[in-house]
Amino acid sequence: MLVRRIASLSKGLYVLLCFAFFYTPIFVTMIFSFNSSKSLTKFTGFSLRWYTQLIENSEIMSAVWVSVSVAALATAISTVLGTITAIGLSKSRKIIKEWLTNINNIPIMNPEIVTAIGLMLLFSAMKFEKGYLTMLLAHISFCTPYVITSVYPKVRGLDVNIANAAMDLGATPFQALTKVIVPMIKPGITAGMLLAFTMSFDDFVISYFVSGNGVMNISMIVYNMTKRTNPTINALSTIVIVVIFVAVLVVNVIPKLKNKKGRKINEKNI
Amino acid sequence: MNTLIELKNITKTFDDQQVLKGINLKINENEFLTLLGPSGCGKTTTLRIIAGFDEADSGELLFDGIEISKLPPYKREVNTVFQKYALFPHLNVAENIAFGLNIKKTDKTVVVQKVEKMLELVGLSGFEKRDVTSLSGGQQQRVAIARALINEPKVLLLDEPLGALDARLRKEMQTELKKIQKEVGITFIYVTHDQEEALSMSDTVVVMNDGYIQQIGTPTDVYNEPENRFVASFIGESNIIKGTMIRDCLVSFDGFEFECVDKGFKENEEIEVVLRPEDIDIVKPENAKIKGTVESVVFKGVHYEIMVRTELRSYMIHTTDFFEVGLDVGLTFGPEDIHVMWKMV
Ligand SMILES: Nc1ncnc2c1ncn2[C@@H]1O[C@H](COP(=O)(O)OP(=O)(O)OP(=O)(O)O)[C@@H](O)[C@H]1O
Ligand SMILES: [Mg+2]
Repeated sequence: MLVRRIASLSKGLYVLLCFAFFYTPIFVTMIFSFNSSKSLTKFTGFSLRWYTQLIENSEIMSAVWVSVSVAALATAISTVLGTITAIGLSKSRKIIKEWLTNINNIPIMNPEIVTAIGLMLLFSAMKFEKGYLTMLLAHISFCTPYVITSVYPKVRGLDVNIANAAMDLGATPFQALTKVIVPMIKPGITAGMLLAFTMSFDDFVISYFVSGNGVMNISMIVYNMTKRTNPTINALSTIVIVVIFVAVLVVNVIPKLKNKKGRKINEKNI
Repeated sequence: MNTLIELKNITKTFDDQQVLKGINLKINENEFLTLLGPSGCGKTTTLRIIAGFDEADSGELLFDGIEISKLPPYKREVNTVFQKYALFPHLNVAENIAFGLNIKKTDKTVVVQKVEKMLELVGLSGFEKRDVTSLSGGQQQRVAIARALINEPKVLLLDEPLGALDARLRKEMQTELKKIQKEVGITFIYVTHDQEEALSMSDTVVVMNDGYIQQIGTPTDVYNEPENRFVASFIGESNIIKGTMIRDCLVSFDGFEFECVDKGFKENEEIEVVLRPEDIDIVKPENAKIKGTVESVVFKGVHYEIMVRTELRSYMIHTTDFFEVGLDVGLTFGPEDIHVMWKMV
């Protein structure tokens, strides 16, 4: 009895410790972003001083812009590319299918640093000027496999005759795609899109290697700024954390709400 | 009757395997035509070529006398009901049925009216807002039929539409489909491997095997006058016996000569004879040429299935009378019960 009590207690304690380990640094960062002094150890009072400094710092603001715009563009382009690839993949011959799904996993499993150096060498070899465009291209390239991975299972789950049925009823191939296929695989597309966005938004390693000419995203500028104590970073990090948190929340909660709603409609009908 | 669709020498090969080996078929207006054959004989492939999902390797496909092989599916005046329905799960019943009309940008009020009429036709009034995934198999099938018919096609293609339903629902839907076909008055091309279904619903049955058409005819024709051994054994049960056509209306098998009604064979041509189990009568041995012993008796509900062992073979007989195992009996049949067929090479 006692043994079991202790066992369950220690289990709870273990989980608690884990969470503390993960989240304490984040909370410390968030709390000290509101500190009125420069100290990173003593909380001297609440202020939004670092947030105003953040907004006034044009270097940081341009990094925010780079991060947001690269993430948005890379997400949009890789979602379209990845979705089309996944649909095409499902129509290919079996051997091609197997090979491509395996090849698609390589960039996901590959250490980021390898991808980063690879892309850097590629851009140098092609004499691309390093900057915004190279960063965008790199982000598209590492986001697309994630989109394919989340869309492909949905496409494979479709009835083989679904596109035929649409065309049989008078839809052109393009209409079959937009009016039937895409709506049916939408959950996969949304998941891939959010995954791509978060991947792109918080990327450091690849961006660091492929960017140049002063073009920096948030991670890069944070890295540059940590060389001196600067609580503005805390303010920036807090914003990033909140953005990521909201994104994760959206990914996980929206499908559940939708399911519940769908089920309710069904129940009403039965 | 006008020919609506004509297939001329259609062939199709998938990965070195010739699936259709020269299909010639004329399909009339308002006809209920069934493609019947065992699994893998090319029924679905034939249907997909007519619908435009596959293209034949060679041959012609005429619709109202016009070659349509190169026409994409969305420009053909045919609609399809798929085996697994292929409904759109993100749309409700009404939206599924209205899909074709909405693609053609039909006026909203017209769409609503037509959807209602279609739901009435297939017996699903009041189901407009239902989620298609919440429907039973039979109901989904009806939605699939309504979704196709609302486009007022000249031809409806149905690929084993009742394959996924249980026996009782199948029977019900068979009658219903036949009724719907009469009501809308268009051509139905129906695919099945169930011979009973084919015989009870069709105007014309096309028996296929291994990429060839074996016989085209009315249900009574293919049942009573099978052209070869395959058709005879695939449709219903039968006794198939090798024999010789001595001359017109005289055939010899099992060591005896029998009068028959078949003509047009060469003298002394090797042929095969079909005797349907229900056409053979069991009589006293002294009243018959063929004599044997009752080998087994199985009760089948309405009739007994009796096997009679003769000198050369066992005959299967269906009769409502009971005979004891071991009894010596004779077998008789009339001239019109003997069906003579070409021998298969
Ligand atoms: N897309 C394809 N690729 C390769 N082989 C195919 C393809 N479609 C059909 N086949 C082959 O062609 C042959 C005929 O197929 P089909 O689907 O026409 O048969 P079926 O008569 O409809 O049979 P079932 O009653 O089982 O549906 C089969 O051997 C099948 O394996
Ligand atoms: Mg088939």
